[in-house]
Amino acid sequence: MRLRAQYSVGPELKFLANLDMMHLMERALRRAQIPYLLSEGFNPHIRMSMGTILPVGLWGEKEYFDLELKTMPTADFMTAMNNALPPGMLIKFCQEISPATPSLMKMVNAAEYAFMIKKNGLDLGGIVAQILGQTEISVQSRGKNKSVYKDLRPGIYGITIETADQVEIINIMVSVNEPLNVRFDELLDVLTVNGVDKELMLDFWRRGNYIKQKDKFSAPLEAR
Amino acid sequence: MKDRIFKDILPRVSKPARYTGGELNMVKKDWEKSQIKMVFAFPDVYEIGMSHIGGKILYGLVNDTSSHLMERSFAPWPDMEALMREEGILLYSLESFTPLNRFDVVGFSLQYELSITNVLNMLDLSGIPLWSRDRQENDPLVIAGGPVTYNPEPFAGFFDAFLIGEGEELLPEFLDCLEQNRGLDRKTRLLKAAAIEGVYVPALYSVEYNADKTLLMMQPQYPGVPARVRKRLVKDLDNAYYPAKPIVPYMEIVHDRAVLEVMRGCQRACRFCHAGMVYRPVREKSVKVLKSQAECQLQNTGYDEISLASLSTLDYSGVNRLVKDLVKTYGDKGVGVSLPSLRVDAFSIELANEVQKVRKTTLTLAPEAGTQRLRDVINKNISEDDLFKAVEAAFRSGWNSVKLYFMLGLPSETEADLDGILDLLTRVKSIGNRLSRRAVEIRASLACFVPKAHTPFQWRPQNSITQLEEKRRYMLKQKMRNIKLSFHDSETSMLEGVIARGDRKLDAVIYEAWQSGCKFDGWSEYFKFEPWMQAFAAFDIDPAFYVERQRANDELFPWDFLDTGVSKAYLYEENELATVGVCTPDCRLVGCLNCGVCPELEVNLDLKEEG
Repeated sequence: MRLRAQYSVGPELKFLANLDMMHLMERALRRAQIPYLLSEGFNPHIRMSMGTILPVGLWGEKEYFDLELKTMPTADFMTAMNNALPPGMLIKFCQEISPATPSLMKMVNAAEYAFMIKKNGLDLGGIVAQILGQTEISVQSRGKNKSVYKDLRPGIYGITIETADQVEIINIMVSVNEPLNVRFDELLDVLTVNGVDKELMLDFWRRGNYIKQKDKFSAPLEAR
Repeated sequence: MKDRIFKDILPRVSKPARYTGGELNMVKKDWEKSQIKMVFAFPDVYEIGMSHIGGKILYGLVNDTSSHLMERSFAPWPDMEALMREEGILLYSLESFTPLNRFDVVGFSLQYELSITNVLNMLDLSGIPLWSRDRQENDPLVIAGGPVTYNPEPFAGFFDAFLIGEGEELLPEFLDCLEQNRGLDRKTRLLKAAAIEGVYVPALYSVEYNADKTLLMMQPQYPGVPARVRKRLVKDLDNAYYPAKPIVPYMEIVHDRAVLEVMRGCQRACRFCHAGMVYRPVREKSVKVLKSQAECQLQNTGYDEISLASLSTLDYSGVNRLVKDLVKTYGDKGVGVSLPSLRVDAFSIELANEVQKVRKTTLTLAPEAGTQRLRDVINKNISEDDLFKAVEAAFRSGWNSVKLYFMLGLPSETEADLDGILDLLTRVKSIGNRLSRRAVEIRASLACFVPKAHTPFQWRPQNSITQLEEKRRYMLKQKMRNIKLSFHDSETSMLEGVIARGDRKLDAVIYEAWQSGCKFDGWSEYFKFEPWMQAFAAFDIDPAFYVERQRANDELFPWDFLDTGVSKAYLYEENELATVGVCTPDCRLVGCLNCGVCPELEVNLDLKEEG
């Protein structure tokens, strides 16, 4: 069977690189004695695909992976995995998906990042309006090709502000993967350039990963 | 402290996962309820230190089986160190983020001579005085163990005590002793500890030198302090502690796999080999115990590979059965078995194929020398025939990458021996080309021979940097396609040699070198030779005295007071046999050869399976 799982990565694990996260998940699968399937060949590996890559330095609320395994009840899978995962990691939902479902890598094209900011009289509403009002937001790419300047504006789908006692949270929905990948650290630069002092930034994380079809955002896995 | 490090420091350093702790199976004991608080300090980066099997054993041993606690700390990489100094953050333990200066004991693992500058750097980062004599009542006791401490004298001034030999029994006894004497002054506690077999407290000994700078005498200054310190060892490895739940790091480390220690010791008697002499005698674990330890390790870690570790795993009497059983049990789950450096003669096609069923690794063989004559001198009892048969079998079974280890500068080495290495590599390659379908990759690693204390070659001179460089140029003159040669750095090897056979006068040099910025000396990108040479000059010490001198038969060595069980007379006889190129067989095959270790330490060669 093929299974898709949604999991969270706690702040204590935010410094893990993608490969570390993959090893962590594979080791948990082995400790939990999940009947995973192996690939063929000299170097057999577990048929798992980590569909979303959490950047180093971020923790995540809703990340996803797909796994191929011998049939087992999804509830048992979750229990066994959650016993085996280190503190800070939790599988929240999982469900069987059709073998025909496209891979996460192919589907996920949007993500939402959150920036927690200490209340300091800063007019966040004004700053957000200023960002959204720009027709072009040109940044030097932080990705592989650093000499390239790219325009982030078409990839910024929306910005919302949440307010709590001491803090405010800016949520930014952006385009990821092809054709325009808006990186988290590029967003951080945009906020700084528009007047959000780095000193006031208390935390940042990824809220979730989404599939955008026209103007509709859906999660790769919806709770039933 | 932890919050600040996570928020302000770690986002600014490379590989932050080195400094976060919190890994799976980490043990965080209750600080208040624990007796002696010890931190295991490893003077290299996290990914090296976490690969070390001794540390895993001690960590589990203290935390699982005693009322003391042990946490961990590693050398921060220079980017992290710079930030820590800038922000006034003391070096901390990964379990409780406690600064090292708040522990009762800071215990360093000395695996490599040149890691000593990192020891000093870590003490400095912890706010602990570097010199033992400067430490006050409230400062931790700074101790060390590990193979390098079989000649502790170059570091005598920095450590309050050394724990000599295997730690399974010694360390808990030492910690218990400190607990029992809590409240007494520092010196009294050290005096009490010095009475434990295996504990060496350097400050309790006086040392005098001859006019020619060699050692005249070394003696204890207090009653109850032993004149000779005898190493400790575990007699029955089956019943010794072995961790069931080792820590699983989040980041990739050097040896990122489960480890089974199949045996300890080796009696092949290679004359250059420090480990082969100081870890005697061979003590094996039974296959039954190993299988149950394998199950625990894999169940609790989730690793996809299990390595059978020892000095010479193919000599383990149960290796065939163990490998087959492990592959049978875990192979279909995608869990592989790996064997470290293989002995050339014991290699069997069958075993290689067992291992290869699951995962394929580079085949590593260690002929050490290029000609039969020189292999006889160093007592590496393998023939060319064995080597070629092993390589043939490997290529036939589908391996296409072979790595070979050699040493340059072995006693009596001539140009013919260097040619022998090149010839051997060429022949290995042609065997590969004949038998392998793909292009074969041959790599040779050429280390500089460094004579070590407690070995038959402890009397021998080491090649000078000039000699080694000449040999390197000679080797590189002949271009060979698809054969890669890599050389150890001759300057680094010289310093290793000085410390390996050094005396107490060197601690001042080491301190000076550290003050001039030396650290991570084992890392080529940080190694700085000049400051070391200036430090030698500052104290009017000629390094050649330690490395390039042929030592007299009756010279008293700074490490002679350490009793490994192997007699100096035996070592000298082996040295003489080397001169005439006569081999010494393996004592497990021909019976006792009187090295002394078994009767001295009342222990037996412990072999589990006859074969």
